[in-house]
Amino acid sequence: MAAPTKTSSAFPSPYEIATPAGCEGWEEMYPYHALFDERRREKDENRFWFWNSMHFPVPMPAFDVHAIDSPYQAVGEWQNRFFAVPPAMGIDYRILNGYVYISGNPVTDPAKIGERVEYFQRRASYYFEHWDEIYAKWKVKMEELIAEITELPVPDLPEYEPDEVMLEDDRQTAFYELLSAYDRTLRCGDLMWQHHFELLLLGYGAYVTFSDFCKANLPDIPDQHIAQMVAGIDVLLFKPSAELRRLAKVAIDSGVDGAFVEGRSHAEIDAELEQSDAGKAWLDELEKIKDPWFNMATGDGLYHYYGSWYDDPTIAYASIIGHVRALNEGEEVERPTEELARERERLAEEYGALLDEETRGTFNELLGLSRMVFPYVEEHKFYCDYWFLTRWWNKVREFGALLARHGFLEDTEDVFQLGRHEVGQALDELVLTWATGGEPLGPKHWPPIVARRKELLEKLSGWTPPPALGVTPEAITDPMSIMLWGVTTQRVQEWASAEEGGGRLTGAAASPGVVEGKARVVIDVEQIAAVREGDVLVCPITSPAWAPIFSSVKAVVTDIGGVMSHAAIVCREYGLPAVVGTGRATAEIQTGQTVRVDGSNGVVTILD
Amino acid sequence: MAAYTRPLAELRRSDASEFGGKSANLGDLLSAGIPVPRGFAVGAGAFRAFVAETGLDGTIASALSRAPRGDVEAAGAASKAIDEAMRFAPLPEPVRQELARSYGELGESPPVAVRSSALGEDGHDATFAGQQETFLWVRGVEQLCDAVRDCWVSLFTTRAISYRAELGAGGEAAMGVTVQQMVDAEVSGVMFTCNPVSGDPSMVAVNASWGLGIAVVGGETTPDDFLVSKVTGEVVRQTVNAKEVEYVVDSAGRGTVRVEVPAERREAACVDEDQLGALVEVGRTVERHFGSHQDIEWALERGRALPESLHVLQSRPVTTLKPKAPKLSASAISLVMGTFGAAPRKED
Repeated sequence: MAAPTKTSSAFPSPYEIATPAGCEGWEEMYPYHALFDERRREKDENRFWFWNSMHFPVPMPAFDVHAIDSPYQAVGEWQNRFFAVPPAMGIDYRILNGYVYISGNPVTDPAKIGERVEYFQRRASYYFEHWDEIYAKWKVKMEELIAEITELPVPDLPEYEPDEVMLEDDRQTAFYELLSAYDRTLRCGDLMWQHHFELLLLGYGAYVTFSDFCKANLPDIPDQHIAQMVAGIDVLLFKPSAELRRLAKVAIDSGVDGAFVEGRSHAEIDAELEQSDAGKAWLDELEKIKDPWFNMATGDGLYHYYGSWYDDPTIAYASIIGHVRALNEGEEVERPTEELARERERLAEEYGALLDEETRGTFNELLGLSRMVFPYVEEHKFYCDYWFLTRWWNKVREFGALLARHGFLEDTEDVFQLGRHEVGQALDELVLTWATGGEPLGPKHWPPIVARRKELLEKLSGWTPPPALGVTPEAITDPMSIMLWGVTTQRVQEWASAEEGGGRLTGAAASPGVVEGKARVVIDVEQIAAVREGDVLVCPITSPAWAPIFSSVKAVVTDIGGVMSHAAIVCREYGLPAVVGTGRATAEIQTGQTVRVDGSNGVVTILD
Repeated sequence: MAAYTRPLAELRRSDASEFGGKSANLGDLLSAGIPVPRGFAVGAGAFRAFVAETGLDGTIASALSRAPRGDVEAAGAASKAIDEAMRFAPLPEPVRQELARSYGELGESPPVAVRSSALGEDGHDATFAGQQETFLWVRGVEQLCDAVRDCWVSLFTTRAISYRAELGAGGEAAMGVTVQQMVDAEVSGVMFTCNPVSGDPSMVAVNASWGLGIAVVGGETTPDDFLVSKVTGEVVRQTVNAKEVEYVVDSAGRGTVRVEVPAERREAACVDEDQLGALVEVGRTVERHFGSHQDIEWALERGRALPESLHVLQSRPVTTLKPKAPKLSASAISLVMGTFGAAPRKED
């Protein structure tokens, strides 16, 4: 085979990236198909890959690779095999030093594109015509799936099977039940991802079309006005925050607000509340709202360690502390929903009135379409990424606990250091040796592997992935990269020309205003509790799940994201300056540094 | 016989043929409640009376007959001849009296701005015809009469003569004059009720600089540059520039003088958000009144506060607007298809 063509690119070849010291052999954590393999070097080296820091900001634990495989199976399925989006098939991924890089597969044959246009038009039209009906059914499907994963029993392995095996025709034995439960757990995960992408592509597409239309006819329109015209007012994702604000008021009204002291843990607060009747009454109030509103995740949900507020109420309590303080200082903490609704209509009417009649007709139609799809765009996160996934990870934990009880793992959480097929292997051996009464090798086999992988992840987390690899593309034409990741030709050029350590980062101006403050870099959820009043939050992506802490930060800076993201909208509502999509803020800014965030112009300056 | 002058407030667009586009336009703005400085218009009848009374009409006709189309040198000679004849000719007494009376109605010898007001619609043609004469801080009847006459003289610049020759027989040499109370401008500038660069109709583009507007209009200073959303009033973009010079009234209170902007004001933004808000509001009112994008000259008066400080000095349709994005007559759904690279194929 010919030697790989050496192309001049601003980005390094994925094959020339060094392994960080002490991380040799990291590849063994991942499936063979996930690697930049020498056997496909020529092809992979000549493609453009970008780091999907939006979904995978930290190195991937082995089990969490399911959260790459399954969504990319699903998105490829819908995009390529069902809707047949004419110019774009699915998305390939590779893992490098633990980080996930992605690259779209374009369709280039004009005949093929023509063939796909026909499929796409027919099917997309059907979905748009029946959207509300399909979405209503979709919610039912998701709630059923959530109920299923919540209730799915993970049987223990008994000393002897019960009499029911003899008495009930459909009663199976434990080894079969356990393996079935594990299979079903994986399939439920796949099913969720299937549902997740059923409507998402079209939803984003409708929004992006409206946005492009606005910019063609109103070239200077601020992105936030487009988002404001479309965004829902009374959407599901705002409910948890609204409930927390209400609880803060209840705390003040019933005189237990003294328990909510900044810096206290939720356990300490609970302990104080337990001391009084009013405190107990407050805790009962809290209990009432937990289902479903505590199914918010503490992060974007694609890693196993993003639990729900049930698992870790730190964010919820931090938010209540903030609201209590604000209320006691006489600040208004309610979302002014009526005002927001009026403003939304006013913007739409005024912009519409500025267009000529024909253009206005299309504008109104596109706005209507965007508003129709937007509840799904916002709410699917709650159903899929938060509610389902946090329960799904907990289901996997039940298998982890079983393996730990039988000595295959030292700790329940260690299950996430094994790939999903490795967990299947371990369960296979467990039920085999349990059934035969033989001596399992697992307890000697798995713990050292787990220990090494934990060490690898720790070390890999100190490595900063380049934003892109491979060949610099002349233009980004893949509609999915543009729509879902905001990776445009301009963004890639900025990455390419970025001078490291310039002390100045640019991104999208997501929410106007200029402030200076101390940076707080938050890569994963454990660091959230460290966020203090007046910090500038610097994170990989603004997750709606973090919205409650926005009431105490001064400004927000993210690596990736667009102005249409829900969190950007929250920033605008709270009047927080925000710059999103800087590409490398979490790599270049350190906690404690003073930064200036210019949300009007999309510039972040490191001042010291 | 038609009056030689009329108050601006009485004029409507249909009066452009007699009083000129500028005066008619200002009358129209006043009728819509736009804060335009008070004043009066001098009609073409006054000019005709002037050239008839003084016998200049003959001089003009013979001078022009010697300047055929395309002959710039001859046009220059004609211009010089007419200028010399007109410059010191006295105004007919009835014209002079009416100017004095209308001027007196504005107050006790108030400072005024005197500008030419080309007949017909104000705009394109007038620019080429050179009928853009402006005299600021004019005081007293004598100075006023001189300024009016100087406006008339500007009908016969070399360029104006050549231009009318190009037009052929249609270009009658006559004009109106606008006389308005002078605004002592602390800040002035121009605004477009659209972004003239991008064509965005939802923006107001404002240029502003210290002192009288001639510094901005004449391009003698780099003004502060603002882009303001009509819809929310937000300042979407702003560039504050170093404004080196400004025009102010001279120490005698007559005429203007060009001075350096003191260092402490040079790089300071010369309008604040409230003032921009007021500008946008008035800009939108003017735009709605005329039903098209407008190019508006404005001033903020020294020593007064909003809303009284804001004056509109002139407005005309935007003529240099960049063509809009290609017409997208497709339906919403087919545009969405386009986003996915599945735009409907053209029907053959």
